[in-house]
Amino acid sequence: MSDAATPGDAPATPQASTVTAFYFDGKTSRRHRVRLSVDGDAATITGDVERGCPLAQLRVSERSVHATRKVSYPDGAYLEIADRAAFDALLDATGHRDGVVVRLQQSWRGALAAVAGTVAVLVLGYWFVLPPAASLLAHALPVAIERRLGDGVLELLDKHVFAPSQLPLARRQQLSTRFERLLPPYPGTPPHRILFRKSRIGPNAFALPSGDIVMTDEMVNLMQDDDALMGVLAHELGHLHERHLTRRIIQGSAVAASATLLFGDVSSVIAALPPLLLDLKYSRDAEREADDYAIAMLRYNGIAPEHLAEVFVRLDKIAGSMPAYLSSHPASRERIAHIRAAAR
Amino acid sequence: MDHSSRDYAADQAPAAPQPIQFRASGGEYFRIWIVNLLLSIVTLGIYSAWAKVRRNQYFYSSTELAGSSFEYHGNPIAILKGRIVALLLFGGYNLGLRYSPLVGGCMALLLAAVLPWLSWKSMQFRLYNTSYRGVRFGFKGSARQAYFYELLLPFLSLLTFGLLLPFTHQRLKQYQHSESRYGTSHFAFDGRVGSFYKAYGKFVALYFGGLIVLGAGLTYALWGSLSGPNGVAKSTAFYVITAVIYLWVFLVMPLFLTLIQNLIWNHTSLAGHRFQSTLSWGRSTFIVLSNLVGIAVTLGLYLPFAHVRWLKYRIEATALLPHGSLDDFVAGSEQQVGAVGEGMMDVLDFDLSL
Repeated sequence: MSDAATPGDAPATPQASTVTAFYFDGKTSRRHRVRLSVDGDAATITGDVERGCPLAQLRVSERSVHATRKVSYPDGAYLEIADRAAFDALLDATGHRDGVVVRLQQSWRGALAAVAGTVAVLVLGYWFVLPPAASLLAHALPVAIERRLGDGVLELLDKHVFAPSQLPLARRQQLSTRFERLLPPYPGTPPHRILFRKSRIGPNAFALPSGDIVMTDEMVNLMQDDDALMGVLAHELGHLHERHLTRRIIQGSAVAASATLLFGDVSSVIAALPPLLLDLKYSRDAEREADDYAIAMLRYNGIAPEHLAEVFVRLDKIAGSMPAYLSSHPASRERIAHIRAAAR
Repeated sequence: MDHSSRDYAADQAPAAPQPIQFRASGGEYFRIWIVNLLLSIVTLGIYSAWAKVRRNQYFYSSTELAGSSFEYHGNPIAILKGRIVALLLFGGYNLGLRYSPLVGGCMALLLAAVLPWLSWKSMQFRLYNTSYRGVRFGFKGSARQAYFYELLLPFLSLLTFGLLLPFTHQRLKQYQHSESRYGTSHFAFDGRVGSFYKAYGKFVALYFGGLIVLGAGLTYALWGSLSGPNGVAKSTAFYVITAVIYLWVFLVMPLFLTLIQNLIWNHTSLAGHRFQSTLSWGRSTFIVLSNLVGIAVTLGLYLPFAHVRWLKYRIEATALLPHGSLDDFVAGSEQQVGAVGEGMMDVLDFDLSL
């Protein structure tokens, strides 16, 4: 294939159809000065080295403004293009087409479209895709696995945060028994256990993945209203029923993985920050769902949801409030309004 | 800016120092990065292996030494397989840890046991898939060496509370550089242990010295607010001290990087050719800090520009001091390497380029 149409020994005035290049044979680091030309479906180099090759066997590196372009032979030898403008003209003449990705990469319009696409995919994924996907996955997971996730958490809390409850045993049993007699509003209530603890964190209640619902003595003393306490317990049962803990773990992992993909190269601090902020929305959504469950449960058992609203009125008086986007819980005012609206 | 036709005629044996040039631009890399990012997200990460090959091909082909550029030959399918294995291992470890500390502990031991081997394979993959002037780089080493330098020595320096760390670092670099080759020619490393202790010493002295001076000075200056009854003033003072200390950490981290990169490349040679690295602390710090600010302010869009800027500075601070012609290197025997280790290092984000 070496019947080159272009004479190789006219280096001073390269013709439009020849391209100056360096040839490396893949065996030594010697640099050979050559001219590349194409005749029909064969490419030929002449100069320090002469070699012909069918176009179909050559691989051209992707178009780029700044990177050196290369043409590789099947045996590992390659050309480094020196005269880029002439090479572009030659490629055009041979009918070489860049791939879709390369064309996108090489135009600012394509890049801007990609920015818009990326933002759209991330936002839609965060708002609309991840929550239902996590919910589906969490409900498909056997309860036993969720239970294992919570192993040891209560022991840890008992060691560092809690002291044994100082409420009379009769009072504790009275509350537990009353709650157990309430009917759950939806089928499929997960097994659970109610525990009381004295704590340093003030009036509070929460559900652990192990199925333990912990209520602090301070909460019982603050409310002095058993119907309100039933509302609080129903809210925590709502967390268990909706599998919030597993869902949060799945959502959190997905967000963290995306952030690491985006920013992991730069700084682990920067990569860790967005997940923290983004998780707060999921946390607030979970609180709202648990509130809805509690409202449904109270009404199902003939208790006015207003008792639950009263809890937030009381709690709000104790704690200062934070802006909504920085808080793991919705603003109390919003929750109270929601409960009262649902009760009507 | 246009360099579309390079100096085709000048091709004598280079004798003067040959600075490495990095021609990539932030704008062009931004376009490559954002298109690859979108495709990677849409394909749930599968495309990321192809994205890595694109990025490396762009960066390598933009890196020029003595009129010739580098080339990256990594195979995306191999990289994808490596990443899947890595994700399974790390996913297993994380799930195991959540499930029970015992299972997690076993997975951690398993990881520690395979990491040196994977890091060795990663080194082989990376160098084998890099070429310059048509001749590939390579890495030999042995599993025994990998476990000695990347598991035993780090473990020992852990036991000695870091006292052996500079020694370990020197031995690791010596191993990595003398096992690296270009064609059939081996790299050599003659950095001494003493120099590593000196570099670490400088860094540690400045780091902790600064922390103590800043911490004590600020506490003294803000003592009124800290001990006063005003809660707001107290927490403000506390935040000021924390912020200044963080800033100090960011200021001195690049110092360590410049000391080590200069030390390593100024003591590396290849068949008589030497290297020279002249990073400066001030410039490095300025680039790192302004990059962080840029990335934060643009919510990440500045990231590819920052990447190119930082790479350009680090690469162009390095030069080759030739000893005769660069034409006489001979390619070694070819050996294909799997990318399992490479995938692992991608996930771990180990910077082995130092």
